[in-house]
Amino acid sequence: MTALRASAITVRFGGLVAVQDVTFTVGEKQIYAVIGPNGAGKTTLFNAMTGIYEPTSGEVQFAGRSVCLTFSTRVAVRIALSALACALSSLIALNVQDLWQATIIDNYQYAQPFPWVESAHDCFDALVGLMRSGGAWTAILGGVAGGGAAAVLWWRSRRTPDLIARAGVARTFQNIRLFNELSLVQNVLVGMDHRMRAGFWSALMRLPRFHDERKHFHSESVELLTFVGLADRADYAAGSLPYGLRRRLEIARALAAKPNIILLDEPAAGMNPSEIVDLMTLIRRVRDAGTTVVLIEHHMRLVMGVSDRILVLQYGRQIAEGTPAEIRANPACVEAYLGTESHG
Amino acid sequence: MSRWRPGPISIIVFVAALLPMCELMLPQSAHITEAVRGVFLYAILALGLNVVTGYAGLLNLGIAAFMAIGAYAFAILTCEIYPFQFGFWPGLLLTLPIGALFGFLLGAPTLRLRGDYLAIVTLGFGEIVQDVLKNLDTITKGTQGINPVPAPSFGGSMWTADDEYKWYYLLLALMVVVILGVRNLERSRLGRAWFSIREDELASRSMGIRVERIKMLAFSAAAAIAAFAGGISASMLSSTGEPSNYDFQVSVLALCIVIVGGIGSIAGVLVGALVMIGLNSIVLVKATAALDALGIGAQGNVLLSPNNWKYLIFGLALVLAVRLKPHGLVPPRIERRAS
Repeated sequence: MTALRASAITVRFGGLVAVQDVTFTVGEKQIYAVIGPNGAGKTTLFNAMTGIYEPTSGEVQFAGRSVCLTFSTRVAVRIALSALACALSSLIALNVQDLWQATIIDNYQYAQPFPWVESAHDCFDALVGLMRSGGAWTAILGGVAGGGAAAVLWWRSRRTPDLIARAGVARTFQNIRLFNELSLVQNVLVGMDHRMRAGFWSALMRLPRFHDERKHFHSESVELLTFVGLADRADYAAGSLPYGLRRRLEIARALAAKPNIILLDEPAAGMNPSEIVDLMTLIRRVRDAGTTVVLIEHHMRLVMGVSDRILVLQYGRQIAEGTPAEIRANPACVEAYLGTESHG
Repeated sequence: MSRWRPGPISIIVFVAALLPMCELMLPQSAHITEAVRGVFLYAILALGLNVVTGYAGLLNLGIAAFMAIGAYAFAILTCEIYPFQFGFWPGLLLTLPIGALFGFLLGAPTLRLRGDYLAIVTLGFGEIVQDVLKNLDTITKGTQGINPVPAPSFGGSMWTADDEYKWYYLLLALMVVVILGVRNLERSRLGRAWFSIREDELASRSMGIRVERIKMLAFSAAAAIAAFAGGISASMLSSTGEPSNYDFQVSVLALCIVIVGGIGSIAGVLVGALVMIGLNSIVLVKATAALDALGIGAQGNVLLSPNNWKYLIFGLALVLAVRLKPHGLVPPRIERRAS
């Protein structure tokens, strides 16, 4: 079973090709590392896989299927409804005062039951009258605009980060992005959000379902904080954490989603050697718990120590892929990192 | 569950509930309950604004427009010159979905706007709504406003303006209901999602939060609460007043309440409303009256009347709040815990 398959991913920003034709496969429960010099396109590759960028070409599949909101009946119905609503409202906006006059005022005298049926008839007649006197074009225009807007909305949201996250792919960021004013527990709970079912009304009315769910997820988030070693600070604001611990919290937040795959973008950046050893243990424990790990990293000791396979990027192209031993023996990789030996 | 201890919110509500009884012992000139009703009304409006601006971090400068929509919707639904003729309670409850619908209509096209751009659109919306209400005179009676708007009736007899304390407790009760609702939302999955998009939209999207949906809910909830406040105010004044009663100044006043009180904090909004509206309609009014009584009042000189200084004082309050207490007088809970 493959957890992730990227085929021929290319990301282009105008004239700049940030990632070119990168293809790789990550097996289930593997630890897979992406390495390369600064600017090689590693983070761009991550962003393209998690939906932050749309890859210029190529496809990403998670667990054998591509995460994409395909054109379904639901989408079609939504577009049709939006077109209808916009057509009707632009028609009404054309002359709402006459409509009101014909429907309400002409039918209403004090102290008489209001003739609702007649009024509805008048409303319909007035609408038809509006259509006849040139309103049809307005309605058509409004309908096209409304339907078009709904279609564009669907097209742009086919492959968004939230959709991919909901499909079981969680990530961390190179420049840590925590919710600084929320407590540690709340940060983790945000990660769990899409596993929760109690919605607006059960929150507003505090239905029993809300309480059950809150209890369950709260204890789970404390467990998770214990797992990464932050339980004693559970109620502190995330912004008050020292740098090294923020990375752990970000990992905990990503794990909270119970992902199948977790993407870690430079998890060891700014860590001291002993913190890196802790991190290696943590990454292994995450994998042993059944999650596939893909990571970007510069610390070779960590990469060589934990990875099952490694992908090497340089200037956006993949120059090697293989086990740590193969990569270490590959002259192209050594060259990419250390430069060419000059022959005198 | 930990033992319940009275927080700032319950203390404020408790004091407010006791106020009329204390007041009865004082001379008529020292009575303030009528002015405190305005504090409640603005607190409800600002609680709505706090949802969209405080929780979700979307700056909304047109909250008064939703108040106007609520007031006119309530008037059209209940006033005897229209055929609908709902009672006070059904009419007031209907302002919530109507407000939410208009919140949705404003929110839908502006979802991708952030910060300043959104603020400008909401500001424009506020102006547009006033103009529309002014010009649709077949429906809204233009600048006359709609009246009479019915007051609540319990057991047959409708309240009049003389039922001062009934109004006071009604507004207090409605404010408590809104506080409970907002608090329940704040301490839920939805509230957390609002905070997370305020803190970092991309990160929360990458955690699977459906940002568009959550923002729409913030817009709609805020608009619903503001429309509710509008309905109450129309009923209290027994008229919608003219459309320009719901102008930019009202929106800014609500924003000042949220900022001075503590952005994202319910207790902060209550304190902010007390400070700003209290200043406006209690302290300044009483000061003017006191100066007049002492014979050193304005006497035609506009500069000597404290009432005319209110915008200067509002501005000063805002500057001082941002300078000295950037997180407001009663900042939200998490922040305090961190330090």
